Amino acid sequence: MIRFDNVSKRYPGSDEIFRNVSFRIDAGEFVYLTGQSGAGKSTLLKLIAATEPPTSGTVLIANQNVSKLKPSAIPFLRRRFGLIFQDHKLLYDRNCFENVILPLRINGISEQEAAKRVRAALDKVGLLKKEKAMPITLSGGEQQRLAIARAVVSRPAILLADEPTGNLDAEYAADIMAIFNAFNQVGVTVIMSTHDALGMSSNQNRTLHLNQGQLHETLTNAGSSKQAHPNNNPSAKELFRP
Amino acid sequence: MSNWLNHHLQAIKLVLFRMRNNALSTFMICLVIAVAMCLPSLFYMVVDNLSKLTDHMQSETEISLFLKQDAGKKTIAEINTVLAKNADIREYHLVTKDQAWKQLQEKSKNNQDISEAINQLGKNPLPDAFFIQAKSADPEALEALKDTLKDIPGVEQAILNADWAKRLAALLSIGKKLIFILAILFAIVLLIIIGNTVRMQILTQQDEIEVSYLIGATSSFIRIPFLYAGAIYGLFGGLLSILIMAGIIQTFNVSIMEISHLYNSDFSLQIFNIGLYLAITSAAVVIGWAGSYIAVSRAISTFRLN
Repeated sequence: MIRFDNVSKRYPGSDEIFRNVSFRIDAGEFVYLTGQSGAGKSTLLKLIAATEPPTSGTVLIANQNVSKLKPSAIPFLRRRFGLIFQDHKLLYDRNCFENVILPLRINGISEQEAAKRVRAALDKVGLLKKEKAMPITLSGGEQQRLAIARAVVSRPAILLADEPTGNLDAEYAADIMAIFNAFNQVGVTVIMSTHDALGMSSNQNRTLHLNQGQLHETLTNAGSSKQAHPNNNPSAKELFRP
Repeated sequence: MSNWLNHHLQAIKLVLFRMRNNALSTFMICLVIAVAMCLPSLFYMVVDNLSKLTDHMQSETEISLFLKQDAGKKTIAEINTVLAKNADIREYHLVTKDQAWKQLQEKSKNNQDISEAINQLGKNPLPDAFFIQAKSADPEALEALKDTLKDIPGVEQAILNADWAKRLAALLSIGKKLIFILAILFAIVLLIIIGNTVRMQILTQQDEIEVSYLIGATSSFIRIPFLYAGAIYGLFGGLLSILIMAGIIQTFNVSIMEISHLYNSDFSLQIFNIGLYLAITSAAVVIGWAGSYIAVSRAISTFRLN
């Protein structure tokens, strides 16, 4: 589904962020991307989402070489992803409902159908009652959940989350992790970057660790207890029904 | 298709919603557009009405054809057939020297000096004359007709008393050129004003544009609301300028009609000039669209995700 072959990235006027990185992520996986601040986690996610081009090497998303895509095709590639940012990137000039409906507008979905899906997504993250609230009135955790609702409302196959729990306390972080796990359970590929162990749940299977421009792959806690695993979440299934 | 329509409807709704939220600044921009549209349009109106007035007057200009003193009945009949065949002539009539003589005596009856002078002449000095009205009111066509008529055998002199009309027509054609230049200058001004307004809006919506790009918006999705905003500014501005113009014309018509009555005319400026109003509005819409297209294309080409 996602494949990096010998990908290097440097920004103009900076040192190489990473060099000759290769990995693949299959559909339905839950992958952590770890490393210290500045290790290039965000940059790697940007390469996947095609918001940054690789300096060399090839990035394949669903068998499409991103560097060879026409600029006009990139928006359609991006619609496969649900993007979640550490700073939420919510729009503070409109209420929660209007924030979440934006991807559906971009996809040209009719207003009626869109409203249904927005409410389903808000319900999924536990914000259904706040659809009329302005994002600024929400707590940090709620804002992050709103950002997740916006990311999943268009039913993307892949969720890319850049330190979604970075600014949250443990309780909120656990909430967010539970939501991600629920989506992963219904077949969504989740790629999540984090710089601390706090954000990780105990049932992870794969970790990509960036250090000094090199990528190391590890399997941690494999086969550990599944207690924290939210079992087949019916509302998540509902949301991702084809 | 329904997606496409949906997208456009949503864009228009969004733009109208934003305009309503910033009603005052929207009104200000529309007012600027309206005033800028008004100036060349009013000037056009004045020149247009003046040229209609001169057309009206020129249609009353005559070519006077004076025959030689020795022209006999035969010559008059010959000239008559030539005139009858000429396709440029609307109508003509003959005033013989006797009729002219009688008219002159009739007219000068009340004026002692002139009638005495006429009586002293004793014999009729006046020639036979044809008075001709042409089909065309165009000064050049009249001039050409006069030249052909002058060359008919037996004609002493052809007089076209339209010099003043020619001068006025020349002035008006300068006026028309001036309108053209003025219209272009104001179009450039409008392009810049609307472009700048849209650029400011793009700056205030930078966040929305960034987020939209990140979740897969195409450039045309970003562009369309701004294009509608430009076009709607133009539309409202155009309509407002029609209102202003109608008000100005109404004010002027009161005094113009007073003057017209003094000259026994029913001339007044037209308030409902549908063609002109349609032209103003569509020009404003097109300029609005183009101005915002330039602004938004520049913004998109320099936009970078970070």
